[in-house]
Amino acid sequence: MKRIETDVIIIGGGATGCGTLRDLALRGIKAVLIEKNDIASGTTGRNHGLLHSGARYAVNDLESAMECIAENRILKKIARHCIEDTGGLFVTLPEDDPGYHQKLVEHCRYARIDCEEISIGKALRIEPNLNPAALSALRVPDGTIDPFRLVSSNVLDAQERGARIFTHTFVTAVIQEGSRVTGVRCHDTGTREDFEVYGQVVINASGVWGQRICALAGVELKMFPSKGAMVIIDYRINNVVVNRCRVPSDGDIIVPGDTVSLIGTTSKKIDYSQIEELSIDDSEIEVLLADGEKLIPNISRTRVLRAYSGVRPLIAVSGDVDGREISRGIVLIDHAARDGVEGFITIAGGKLMTYRLMAQMTTDLACKKLDSSRKCSTHREPLPGSELKSMPGKHIKFFSGIPQSVVGSTLYRHGERVRQILSLSKRNYALICECEMVCEGEVEYAIRHLNVKDLVDLRRRTRIGMGPCQGELCSYRAAGLFARLNVATSAESNGMLVDFLEERWKGMKPILWGDGLREAEFTHWIYQGLFGLGDVNLPGEEESL
Amino acid sequence: MNYDCLIVGGGFSGLTCGIRCQGAGLSTAIISAGMSALHFSSGSIDLVGYDHERKIVYRPFEYLEKFTGAAPDHPYAHCGVETVRESLFFLKDVLAAEEMEIHNNGDENHFHVTGMGTLKPTFFSQRSVFNSAISQAFARKAKIAVLNFEGYRDFYPELAITNLLNNSLFRDVEISTGKLVFPDYGDPQKNPFEYRSIDVARIFDTIQYLDEIAEQIKREAGDAEFVAMPAFIGIQNYKKHHQILQMLTGKLIYEIPALPPSILGMRLDDALKSRFAELGGVLIAGDMVKGGDFRGGLLDHVHTQNYGTARLRAKAFVLSTGSFFSGGLVSDARGIREPIFDLRVSATSPRSTWHSPQFLDRKGHPFLEFGVETNGRLNPLDAGGNPVENIFCTGALLPHYNPIREGSGGGVAVATGFHAANQIIKACG
Amino acid sequence: MIDLENISFDHCIKCTVCTIYCPVARVTHHFPGPKQSGPDTERLRIKNPELLDDSLRYCTNCKRCEIACPSNVKIADIIQSSKWKYFKKKFRIRDYFLSHTDLMGSVAVNYATLVNFFTGLPPVKFLLDAVFLIPSKRTFPKYARGTFRKWFRKYAQKKQAAFGTRVTYFHGCFVNYNDHSLGKDLVTVLNAMNIGVDITRERCCGVPLIANGYIGKARKNARYNIASLQKAVVDPGSRIVTTSSSCAFALKYEYANLLEMDNSSIFNQLNYITRFIYDQFQAGNAPPMKPVTIRAAYHSPCHLERMGGVIHTIDVLRRVPGLELQILHSECCGIAGTYGFKKEYYDVSQKVGGALFKRIERVRPDFVITDCETCKWQIEMSTPYKVLHPVNILARAFER
Repeated sequence: MKRIETDVIIIGGGATGCGTLRDLALRGIKAVLIEKNDIASGTTGRNHGLLHSGARYAVNDLESAMECIAENRILKKIARHCIEDTGGLFVTLPEDDPGYHQKLVEHCRYARIDCEEISIGKALRIEPNLNPAALSALRVPDGTIDPFRLVSSNVLDAQERGARIFTHTFVTAVIQEGSRVTGVRCHDTGTREDFEVYGQVVINASGVWGQRICALAGVELKMFPSKGAMVIIDYRINNVVVNRCRVPSDGDIIVPGDTVSLIGTTSKKIDYSQIEELSIDDSEIEVLLADGEKLIPNISRTRVLRAYSGVRPLIAVSGDVDGREISRGIVLIDHAARDGVEGFITIAGGKLMTYRLMAQMTTDLACKKLDSSRKCSTHREPLPGSELKSMPGKHIKFFSGIPQSVVGSTLYRHGERVRQILSLSKRNYALICECEMVCEGEVEYAIRHLNVKDLVDLRRRTRIGMGPCQGELCSYRAAGLFARLNVATSAESNGMLVDFLEERWKGMKPILWGDGLREAEFTHWIYQGLFGLGDVNLPGEEESL
Repeated sequence: MNYDCLIVGGGFSGLTCGIRCQGAGLSTAIISAGMSALHFSSGSIDLVGYDHERKIVYRPFEYLEKFTGAAPDHPYAHCGVETVRESLFFLKDVLAAEEMEIHNNGDENHFHVTGMGTLKPTFFSQRSVFNSAISQAFARKAKIAVLNFEGYRDFYPELAITNLLNNSLFRDVEISTGKLVFPDYGDPQKNPFEYRSIDVARIFDTIQYLDEIAEQIKREAGDAEFVAMPAFIGIQNYKKHHQILQMLTGKLIYEIPALPPSILGMRLDDALKSRFAELGGVLIAGDMVKGGDFRGGLLDHVHTQNYGTARLRAKAFVLSTGSFFSGGLVSDARGIREPIFDLRVSATSPRSTWHSPQFLDRKGHPFLEFGVETNGRLNPLDAGGNPVENIFCTGALLPHYNPIREGSGGGVAVATGFHAANQIIKACG
Repeated sequence: MIDLENISFDHCIKCTVCTIYCPVARVTHHFPGPKQSGPDTERLRIKNPELLDDSLRYCTNCKRCEIACPSNVKIADIIQSSKWKYFKKKFRIRDYFLSHTDLMGSVAVNYATLVNFFTGLPPVKFLLDAVFLIPSKRTFPKYARGTFRKWFRKYAQKKQAAFGTRVTYFHGCFVNYNDHSLGKDLVTVLNAMNIGVDITRERCCGVPLIANGYIGKARKNARYNIASLQKAVVDPGSRIVTTSSSCAFALKYEYANLLEMDNSSIFNQLNYITRFIYDQFQAGNAPPMKPVTIRAAYHSPCHLERMGGVIHTIDVLRRVPGLELQILHSECCGIAGTYGFKKEYYDVSQKVGGALFKRIERVRPDFVITDCETCKWQIEMSTPYKVLHPVNILARAFER
């Protein structure tokens, strides 16, 4: 069996795990990350992408609010291409408790979150689609954050500094010598090979799946998963984050994210056994659309692209708790102290916003165990692509000849790295995904440099198939490119195509009406009617042609 | 404006109906809101390819004789198998009048190869997809070269070949690939890596490039006697240029329907529209019927987006507005409706019953089987459940069949369009 | 910011049919086609207007994409409005003159001989090319002496009172400043049908203003025209006609869809002339016609196609005895109003029209017939054939 030696092993390729990988790499410590699926494929990639100002927590959870605003300011410096500094509004509707507004103002002041009371007229100028019936409005430094880009940039930086990552690889066992954890046994689902990784410290950063990893190490840890559903609207309806000014509840936030807008979220406790197959009920969608409509009238008349849900990884410190009441506080467990298991750390709780802080805390602990005194620099070092303030005009001029929409979209996704992606070769900038302007050069770059193993991974790195058509033309093209670039066999490409279409279908099914239904009919017609993709292994065509 | 027959919807079904009516001397107009689904079709005409267990049907008429007895609501049952047969051969003649050669395998289905290298049973195909020379070449397992233009983003022969070789029919067939290079197409600004099938078809339509392409085909195909390419061998001069290419290369050249827009389908669309115009039919393109008024249980007139308050009258109206894709049916989160006259629709509820769990489910999706309820004459039912005797519904608007699961879309479009026309001709004559 | 009430691009299901039928995408890669320029990139422009593609400028607004679209997406409207919403306003003296047709016309008609002489001179053309980027190969339409309105008041107006039924004629800039004969023929035709002609106050319909981004001015003109015309049609039975298919298209559709003006008070009463004549013929008002023995090729202008008016022109022309009519395959002539007058688009414009010109050559007609004045300029410049308006033909048929 293949054997890899390293200093630190991280289990879980979400924001925290990948952030920790980068932190370790910046401190010059060797690390290997194991992820069972793709980076940012779990909870990290399944939230509403809000760059919290902290205002949403200010009233109920001051500690989280203060963490948020601190990280908010850091991320605006180090992750420029992953965030948009849109600003956010809190609006009070006629049916809301008018007292909450004042309470929020006071708590924000206490947490040092800039919170400005503005007139409705001004709010409408900032966000013209806002419900004009709103009674009062507050402006806060909310923004949006793209989790896929954030995580991918962390990994890219870590890898460029020598870290290693294995995606689509399961941890099948935690190797222990006496009371000490010394490594993990893994199974690569792509190559179907088993291998072992040894190191002094194993960090369990697998979020809600952490309960299972702990079990592998013989440690008990109980997670209380809570499901949150969201719907995505076809295009960007609002330019600033719109929050409902009330105690956090279902359907009270609309976040713009790249080319789309997103209504979030619901909250529902689920059984731990359900975390792999999350379903979305019609009632959840109805609630989201109805409440979204209150913030932005007519929003439910637009095309709903998808609905999806994520699991909040909440650790119960004591007894059973409701999904929303609990603090999203960070839980860092040194199992040596808690359970007498050496070399094993669990990091859980928290939120996407505080991933860097969590990574810092975890790395600090790991460093202590490794006797390293290196200090954290992730709050200073910009992520690859975020070195400079984004200036589309400059790049558009540099790549004159390539359509502005292509240069601009690539820049959005990869920041300054756009210079390594695009070239003036016609082949390079030929479009593969026409909704999100993903060109062949970007696909190739992602496949070669961003740990892309299949079409779904490619989607997370490039937004391919995330536009209105949900992969109608581009999924075939991209599958073909895998074969054409010799990174997959034709049979593998065919399989990827099927998997990708089925993955898209999961999010389309719950909202299958209107133009979404037309789109699905058309796509089904192409792939099943025209291509017979579902019949690839259909036997029985024995007679003559 | 007054017509004998006014057809709403200029797709496969509407055009078939229009040609039949106008050809029989009725003054006929077709109103079409945008281009039809023919632009995305395979260009072959399926009759019925799979049975209810999704086993392949080899003798479609024999199968339909049995099947229609058991499925009285199926559009083929409304038409009757004899009419289905008659309609298909009527269509063949219509296309022949436009010098479009259509081939069939007697009363049996034949297969065409898809862009993913699967085989689909179908009844009629264009000459470059099925003819006796092609079926002989398949039978003797002739060597095949699948050729493609380098960097063309809408076809990946590798994927198709892998699937083809998995098929028992092709197991011992030698298949090679080769790359063609686009001839200099004049405009240096054109980005060949963004060509769609239509751009390539226009190159093939231009005679001056054929020699160069033929040379490349000969070189790349080597000793393969059979060359398969994505379907882009011309759209206006396809017939002549396909023959010229075969002559210049000495090889059989086969067209595979690839990613839309479908060149094979557009040829059909062109031929049918041209036939309809030639017969003197009126095609009103880019307009949308918004509603109409009923008088004494019959539809008196319709009005459209462009003509405002002007009334378009006819003795008989045909609705061939298609399924959801073409706007014949519309849906929202609560339900499904027919948007022009709010005719009675067959559909299930709740919404979660509209689709299957898997996208590529072999059983297909229930929403494809929704449509406007009709009687056997294809008359829809009004709010009171009474048939409207001067409206006829045809094609994908009809319920109780699944074009994709059955492989029956083209056949139902043609047969129901023809069946409606027959009744209109009888009523007007 | 987007208007949630008006989001037709949301219906686009990326079928790409529009791109097949786009005459510009066919001839140049500078234009990636209506799907990409319209609904696809509109989503990006909403996100960030900096993602605006320069290639949008190549759209001629022929509306063929909208005719092809099975999803009722107002593709060309999206592109036009993006042009003026997002492009930085850059004042160009050429565009100002090309678009302000009534201003130019009212000056030029006073010095028609001089203007026509000068715009035909090679050194002037060279200058226009070099300084104003108006291609020297382009032939300028000739100006008439005096205006049609002046002629009408002086010679025709009095006689019109004798008719019981009268219609209001929106003559447009072309008839007023360039070609009085079409207006005169219209009076002849309608009078022969026992219908009188009125004119009312009007300004340029706004087509060239919209094309060149003068939206404020276009709206102003639209407001003026709607107000003036609705006074003329207070009685629901009264009618307005135009002899320019593009004016009719603007008044009926561009006003509502692009300029977002309420034109419902005139929408149903205003029509392109052949639609009006068709209705009259249908109602039995069809005076006997003299044979007009010519062979003509008919070209259907894009905007008439979009309005669904081609069937009326063809029907009316088919009734003219002796007229041998060959209907040309429907194709864009490429001029698209002021588009073909700009140096940067001249080649594209001529290439777009290339297919049509070849078809005309193949027919070898005595005349070409078309409904649109700019199509007329383009065809007369690019082929050896003279171009007539359907009303010119009818006037000959009704001549006493």
